[in-house]
Amino acid sequence: MLLIAGVTLIVMAGTHNLRHRQMVMQKAQQSEVQLSPASSGSDPSEDPAAKALLGKPAPSFTLVDLDGKKVSLADYKGHPVVLNFWATYCGPCKLEMPWFQDLQNKYKDKGLVVLGLDQDDGMAVKEVAAASKRVGVTYPILMPDDKVSKSYQLSDYIPETFYVDKSGKIVEQTIGAHSKDELEADVQKAIASGGL
Amino acid sequence: MVAQEIQLGSASGPHKAHVDLLSDAVEVKAGEAQVVELRFRVQDGFHINSHTPKDELLIPTALQLNAASGMKIVDEQYPKGSTFRLPLDKTETLDVYQGEFRVSVRLVAPKGSSTLTGALKYQACDNAVCYPPKTLPVVVAVTGR
Repeated sequence: MLLIAGVTLIVMAGTHNLRHRQMVMQKAQQSEVQLSPASSGSDPSEDPAAKALLGKPAPSFTLVDLDGKKVSLADYKGHPVVLNFWATYCGPCKLEMPWFQDLQNKYKDKGLVVLGLDQDDGMAVKEVAAASKRVGVTYPILMPDDKVSKSYQLSDYIPETFYVDKSGKIVEQTIGAHSKDELEADVQKAIASGGL
Repeated sequence: MVAQEIQLGSASGPHKAHVDLLSDAVEVKAGEAQVVELRFRVQDGFHINSHTPKDELLIPTALQLNAASGMKIVDEQYPKGSTFRLPLDKTETLDVYQGEFRVSVRLVAPKGSSTLTGALKYQACDNAVCYPPKTLPVVVAVTGR
């Protein structure tokens, strides 16, 4: 009788220990998942919004350019369009922008349009104009609007770029600075897609 | 342990902070100009512009302090930045703070307990993206002996 009770106690203790170890392991795994992103830099490709609009129609918008003129995405219907979200404080953006200018010049005869959508908060138009001039771009720069940021599901980091084909569909969506070759490959994708 | 988990959890959210204030209390000789070092830490994988970035379009890191009653802020001295190059940039370098950096604040504090308050304004990036300018609240207990 005593032997049976002893064995039962040992089995119960073992089961309890196993459950406890499983709980500890589970908590440790949860902690690991929670803590790892904070110890390293961002990985924008892991953001769920990174490709959220891929394959969907580019949300329409009307914004004002540096001259106060209204510019709508619909104005460029039938053209491949690059929508590059940038800001004056963003070093990686200023690295890419002259490359977008070069690509606009190179693929002008293919109808390529590049639009720079500024994301500075509360910056005067003349300051944005001075910054874009300094960066060396002549393509249209559009002033910010929260509605556009929301419709394009932007995160709080830039640059973010959408490549829209001639039919108005987003064929590529990228976050962060990319090499000129990568930008050109994405531009070519937009040019090649959506033909009528 | 709980406080640490909450802090790190918030840092993985979409509007995370990238700089922590490491100093929370200092002791000084009361009634005399004294230099105290405020310690900050830029989180791993990120950098912020130094107080004197090379490009005028970049936003400098700046500490704005409020003088509490009986306390006088004389001046602030910022550390030199380190040279940083974006992986894709073959020509230009940036002047940044990474890891821990210290701002020296010369102040005159009254005897007893007072609080130094203010904000650190900074703008963070990593190798590929940049985040909007942010403000880190600064609250440091000052004891004048």
